[in-house]
Amino acid sequence: MSKYIFRRALGLIPTMFIIVTICFFFIRLAPGGPFSSEKKISPQIMKNIEAKYHLDEPLVIQYVRYLGDVIRGDLGPSYKYKDYDVNFYISRSLPKSILLGSLALFFAVIMGMGAGMLSSLRQNTWIDYMSMSVAVVGISVPLFVIGPVLMYIFAMQLNLLPVSGWISERGYSALILPVFSLSLPYFATIARLSRASFLEALRSDYVRTAKAKGLKTSVIMFKHVLKGASLPVVSYLGPAFSGIITGSIVIEQIFRIPGLGRHFVQSAFNRDYTMIMGTVIVYSLFLVIMNFVVDVLYGYLDPRISYK
Amino acid sequence: MSDTIIKNKDTVLNEFDQPVKGVSLMQDAWRRLKKNKMAMFGLVTLIFYTIISLSAPLLPIHSYKQQVLGHQFLKPSLRPAGELMYERQDKLIRGMAAKEGRTELNEAEIKKLADLKASITTEKKVLLNGEEVLVHERVYPLGTDSLGRDLLARIIYGGQVSILIGLLGAITSVLIGVVLGALSGYIGGTFDSLMMHFVDIMYSLPYMLLVIIFMAVFGRAIQNLFFALAIVSWLTVARVVRGQIISLKNSEYVEAARSSGAGTGRIVFRHLIPNTAGVIIVYTTLRVPSFIMLEAFLSFLGLGVQAPFASWGVLIQDGVYAMTTYPWLLWFPAAAMTLFLFSMNFLGDGLRDAMDPQSKNKL
Repeated sequence: MSKYIFRRALGLIPTMFIIVTICFFFIRLAPGGPFSSEKKISPQIMKNIEAKYHLDEPLVIQYVRYLGDVIRGDLGPSYKYKDYDVNFYISRSLPKSILLGSLALFFAVIMGMGAGMLSSLRQNTWIDYMSMSVAVVGISVPLFVIGPVLMYIFAMQLNLLPVSGWISERGYSALILPVFSLSLPYFATIARLSRASFLEALRSDYVRTAKAKGLKTSVIMFKHVLKGASLPVVSYLGPAFSGIITGSIVIEQIFRIPGLGRHFVQSAFNRDYTMIMGTVIVYSLFLVIMNFVVDVLYGYLDPRISYK
Repeated sequence: MSDTIIKNKDTVLNEFDQPVKGVSLMQDAWRRLKKNKMAMFGLVTLIFYTIISLSAPLLPIHSYKQQVLGHQFLKPSLRPAGELMYERQDKLIRGMAAKEGRTELNEAEIKKLADLKASITTEKKVLLNGEEVLVHERVYPLGTDSLGRDLLARIIYGGQVSILIGLLGAITSVLIGVVLGALSGYIGGTFDSLMMHFVDIMYSLPYMLLVIIFMAVFGRAIQNLFFALAIVSWLTVARVVRGQIISLKNSEYVEAARSSGAGTGRIVFRHLIPNTAGVIIVYTTLRVPSFIMLEAFLSFLGLGVQAPFASWGVLIQDGVYAMTTYPWLLWFPAAAMTLFLFSMNFLGDGLRDAMDPQSKNKL
């Protein structure tokens, strides 16, 4: 097992390498450099700018230089903002995105599993119908509709929660709307998945035996059913995590949270290449590590999986 | 069957003298689908949307890019725009007068209102299509946006763009996925393992971020958007089709075809792919809403469809900025889009249950 984990962890390095390489060359394909603007710049000044950012060197040298910098943890200077480098902007915005994303994921998993469990125990009652209709809404309605609608109702009409902003200005209630809207699609999918797998488990022989022994429903659910039935949910966590990353970009835009997603979109508009790449590298690192954790977790939960 | 009597070439009768008809997979699926109320609701809505989008140029709606000065942010109403404009101006002027502590309007204000009233009945405007109309007699059932454009027309034409991207994107990605998945499943060996490694690597990439970069780098044209979405979204289809093909490729009919000398291409495209049609249809249906969502997601960030064209994502983005004072700009596009996504999802789920009854309750 530990050998498998080690080998799997080593496998993360080539994936990250491929991501960095694809990003680097992909961006260099772009017509027009980062400094081409409507304003005419004299060739000498352009040359100086390019020399400053090493853009005058051959592409391969630039690539090796960039790769070396990334390995040392330096994501380079921003092409757009002169005062700070990419590391500064990322380190300032990343904690907010991490807090937002992990709270949303946590909420989605706990509430989704809970709703799935309740509806499987009370199949075809109003609890089941209600949580499954919420789930259908969560799957069909896109984030950028849910977010503004919730904002309109709870922040603008009822004045219960702050419209936008972050903890530092508005207190912890500023988290409620973004976290809730971000987690809704994943809550929905997890609720549906876990309902189906709980239902399957409840029909199995070992649950009947447990019932025949006279165990309480809560004991059956938490001691016998939960572990097996959470497998589909665990395997869904990888896609959910990547969805939360893209979702957080939209949510940060709607609720004006100064997180990594805002920087990403802004830098895409500014053609701030180092900034784009820096954000993508950070996002990918999280994604890749998360997939790794899910794989390992899956192995612990399902002893039928063999490690070769 | 020994009980069946063959009367003539076309009709087969069973033991009760009733004609027996062969039921194909599609007929069987259709029979099951018809029983699923939500799926039928989805199908009807889909047909309704398709008719509206296809017949948009024939419908009696205004142009989606015609801007009319003075018609900005009119609320949804069946009354002519002139009346609404006059009421708004009247209210504004009276409000100002009340603030200054007057109950009567002064002469200048009365003249202003009278001028407005006169211009409403007379002012003509040449529209983009060359037609000359009394512009203030236009009716905006869903109101207007920040540039005085008809919201109803924008939703319909935006729907055209969104649905087109959804359909074309789904079909392209399914085509790529089916061909690559089927070949990789049937040929196997090195080709298969290379393909699946490639798919695995692509899976671990944050592909939405790559799409965003693509749009930022190569410009925000519709064809770029379409291309970017199509190249990243065939992975799941390829995997599913590959699995299906592997489970089918050792069946008798494939062996029969191979023994009678059919080549790889013929076996894959004439025998194996038609037998996975159920899965392919279901995936295409379920991909359409996800494509529409992706397009709307990019348009929402400002990286998708560009003005003067609209898509539901663009309209929702406009609506979000204006929703404090003009909430209908958010409600109507959001409702139009959500209803469509709902019905596509219901239809897709229904199709899956109909094609493969054992898949119930799976995602």
